[in-house]
Amino acid sequence: MEKATVHIALFAALIAALGLIPKLMLTSGVPITAQSMGIMMAGTILGAKRGAAAVALFVALTLAGLPLLSGGRGGLGVLAGPSVGFVVGFPIAAWATGWIMERLHALPVSIAAGVAAMIGGIVILYIPGVAGMALMLDKSWSQAAMLITPFLPGDLIKAVITAILTQAIFAARPASVFSRSGSSL
Amino acid sequence: MLALTYSPQTPLHALSAPIKLMALSGITTALFIIPTGWASMVLGGAALALYAAMGSAFLRAGLRTLNGLWPFVVVLGLWHGWQGDWDGGILILARLITAVAFANLVTMTTPLQDMIACLVRLLHPFRRLGLNPNAVSLAIAMMIRFIPVFMARAEQLKMAHRARSHRSGRWAIIFPLALGMLDDADTVAEALRARGGITPKD
Amino acid sequence: MKNPHISINQVSLSLGDRSILCDIDAQLNDRRIGIVGRNGSGKSTLARCLCGLIKPTSGMVQIDDIDIYKDRKRAIQKIGILFQNPDHQIIYPTVGEEIDFGLRQIGHTAPQARDKTRQMLAHFDTLDWIDRQTASLSQGQKQLLCLMSILAMEPDVIVLDEPFSGLDIPTRRILGDVFQSLPQTLIHITHDPAVIETYDRILWLDAGQIHRVGTPEQVLPEFMDAMMTASGLT
Repeated sequence: MEKATVHIALFAALIAALGLIPKLMLTSGVPITAQSMGIMMAGTILGAKRGAAAVALFVALTLAGLPLLSGGRGGLGVLAGPSVGFVVGFPIAAWATGWIMERLHALPVSIAAGVAAMIGGIVILYIPGVAGMALMLDKSWSQAAMLITPFLPGDLIKAVITAILTQAIFAARPASVFSRSGSSL
Repeated sequence: MLALTYSPQTPLHALSAPIKLMALSGITTALFIIPTGWASMVLGGAALALYAAMGSAFLRAGLRTLNGLWPFVVVLGLWHGWQGDWDGGILILARLITAVAFANLVTMTTPLQDMIACLVRLLHPFRRLGLNPNAVSLAIAMMIRFIPVFMARAEQLKMAHRARSHRSGRWAIIFPLALGMLDDADTVAEALRARGGITPKD
Repeated sequence: MKNPHISINQVSLSLGDRSILCDIDAQLNDRRIGIVGRNGSGKSTLARCLCGLIKPTSGMVQIDDIDIYKDRKRAIQKIGILFQNPDHQIIYPTVGEEIDFGLRQIGHTAPQARDKTRQMLAHFDTLDWIDRQTASLSQGQKQLLCLMSILAMEPDVIVLDEPFSGLDIPTRRILGDVFQSLPQTLIHITHDPAVIETYDRILWLDAGQIHRVGTPEQVLPEFMDAMMTASGLT
């Protein structure tokens, strides 16, 4: 119980620290952030339940008033803006990523993490993300979806980096990758 | 790492957090349910008045928090401009800005501890599902304690990278940062157990 | 071989309204340089300025006429730094990759880098480390790895920022012997005068300014006196 709680708390802190790393601008003008990889890694490393809890904790404290989102954003204003769907979707995405990661235990870590990150971190995340945007900007789902398509290439890159990082972490600390080690937290 | 609460205190700081949060829910619901643009204009005006009533410095700080909406202002402007639907665009924008303004007003006038207290209270029903409120409080405290630790470590790793490379190290440092976090988690969990562990919920 | 010329020109650094370094000015040609001072005297900040890791608010650091902050490509081959905590320095999962990294940064191809990595490891009798997980090394071994990573880049100057922190006595001794055997110019930052007694020049930093400069005989006894009588925790 202590181990689980501590891992959840510290992973949430890590996601916050990743917000400090400056965005990388792709040639298409679309940024990718290290923090969004942290969200996916919560799933690939801690698994579905603990990963989702870590990301939920991070989101909760951001909404409570800490400027933890990339770019130093935070507070309840985040919920009232167009990216509300993404913020709310982060814990869901982490859960989905972790769930898929756990199911794919027969595959090598890098492949499992890549698949999990792509489905959980992109497909699943974009459902609430697009819905939120559609609501806030008063557009239809397909119109909102159009607005986010430029971000897809960046997200694919993020999923690949997540896979590589998860593999490296697993090689260094196999017991700490709880989605794999099956050791009880 | 400072919270987004504004200081010095304003009269709105004195209102309790639950009241402000409930008011915020009501206002935001109204904004999105009342279909005419009047709701946005009236409420928008009310938000502006409230900010101004707390002082010009407060108003300026509040306007700064709206900066993040610029990309969407541009997107909506282009979209609705191209369709010739300026009115529609302005109304959506007014609604958006008003909602964000009220939300940020609550954030700026509510201390972090109060918001956390509300959060913990909201989690009350989950006790029945096995959630231990002591674990939640501890997790919140630990997260806050470690954010500056990891931020400082990220800075140090950035410098270590810069000492050996003229390129940007922003991706290279994620690995050691994550590893450090996992190692710290093991040590902290041990230390916690050595001090009695987390109090069971009952 | 002529020693590199280190030129610290009126370097000042403030963070917000806090002054951390004030008008540090020194021309150094010595092979063994020590910097002493209490914690909080600005030693680490000066170390980072010397390596071009942070920008002084005013003034500049040059080594052999290279602007260390601006000209990063040449700077990383002029000066390297060994940090206090190797866990803050090691970036890669395996030993080989960690040393390869610096070599790739200075322009070697992957095979060239791997070759030089092997040479470096062989020089320290640690060739069997090449595929080891960095995370599995002891603190002392990690410090040695960090040193090897820097030496691979063949700098002329190496800054040692309190490199013995947290190491046991035998490890300090062994690492200390390694340091002394290095042909490079060493700038050793420490609050323990014993490790720099045989050095050529000592800078004593106090509250962000140079309090004394001179030989160990000139500076260290007065420094020790001041330390024994100083009150107050930093």
